[in-house]
Amino acid sequence: MIGCYDFCGHYEWTFEWLRAQGGHDLVRAYWDEAIHQDSQLHSSKLIEAKCIEGMKEYWGPTLADEGAVYERTVTDYVFRIDMHECPSKGFLLRNGLNQYTDYCDHCMGWIGPLMQKAGFVIDHEHNHCGQCWWEMRRASDATPASQPCELAGKGDVRLRPDWKSPHTDHYARATDPDDKTTV
Amino acid sequence: MDDARQSTLMSDAETPSPLPYTDTKPVGHADFYFAINATFRFIQRHHGEEALKNYWRDIGTSYYRPVALKWAEQGMRGVADYWRAFFQAEPGAEVEVIESSDEVRLEVKRCPAIHHLRDHGREIVPNFCQHCFYVNEAIAEPAGLTVRICGGNGTCTQRFIKQTAEASPQNLEDIAPAS
Repeated sequence: MIGCYDFCGHYEWTFEWLRAQGGHDLVRAYWDEAIHQDSQLHSSKLIEAKCIEGMKEYWGPTLADEGAVYERTVTDYVFRIDMHECPSKGFLLRNGLNQYTDYCDHCMGWIGPLMQKAGFVIDHEHNHCGQCWWEMRRASDATPASQPCELAGKGDVRLRPDWKSPHTDHYARATDPDDKTTV
Repeated sequence: MDDARQSTLMSDAETPSPLPYTDTKPVGHADFYFAINATFRFIQRHHGEEALKNYWRDIGTSYYRPVALKWAEQGMRGVADYWRAFFQAEPGAEVEVIESSDEVRLEVKRCPAIHHLRDHGREIVPNFCQHCFYVNEAIAEPAGLTVRICGGNGTCTQRFIKQTAEASPQNLEDIAPAS
């Protein structure tokens, strides 16, 4: 049986299996169709209906259940997460699992299309070591991403001494997993 | 700390888990069953049923290779230890693991995946329960073992036995469609 305890391990293995079968386009289709539109149907419905309030209702219990260490900053205009210990990437790092080129892309792979449908854009950066930050704003809001400390204060993941190790991938007002630049 | 307590902790720390990949939390997040079910549906929709069977075989021989190595080394004891630890970490599982010298039998009284999917009104891929045969067979084969499954759709019996010429092949009709 394929179980949920080590889900992140076989999930990551599956990305590489799909890439070998049908290339990058098949992996992108998987994140959108299988994860966003099927597996995460409950989060899509919640966020499309309740916007930022829906994000609070979805990520609060989910990240707690997964065992994440994170900070959340919410205003009427922005939903921000500072992920200090990603349970998913952490599992892979602890178990030495690294089949796919960038596991962290899967989040933008399913959250991106979800946010686009709900009318939001994303500023996001991940460092491939289990730390990242996210800011979701309405697509009509031209406010740029916050500077370190500006929104999250001392909880801003960018203040960590290990944040820039070894490099980060950055998304600006994006909803597409391929719209990233490496910093 | 008294000596007895210290001894227990050291013993726990030194005993390697029967599971190849371990987490800091004791039990998995049940909503991941949604993604497992969705993954099967996606592969079958895009590439057909045979591709889905290949996916199950490949994940068994590749991702779960450390399990096959342990079963080959430890025999039925390793098989039983693995499944006890496995189902302990799956939320809502009710499974009895019965071990003898020539067989390990799993009596799955409550499949955690089927029940979670059903409880949340998810459309379950009809051949969902076949994944247990294809994945488990791919793990068992290099260890000189084979698996036979009867039932499905929430309860089943899985027998891990030695490969012999006399062993009749798995009849897929013995595995119930899931709903």
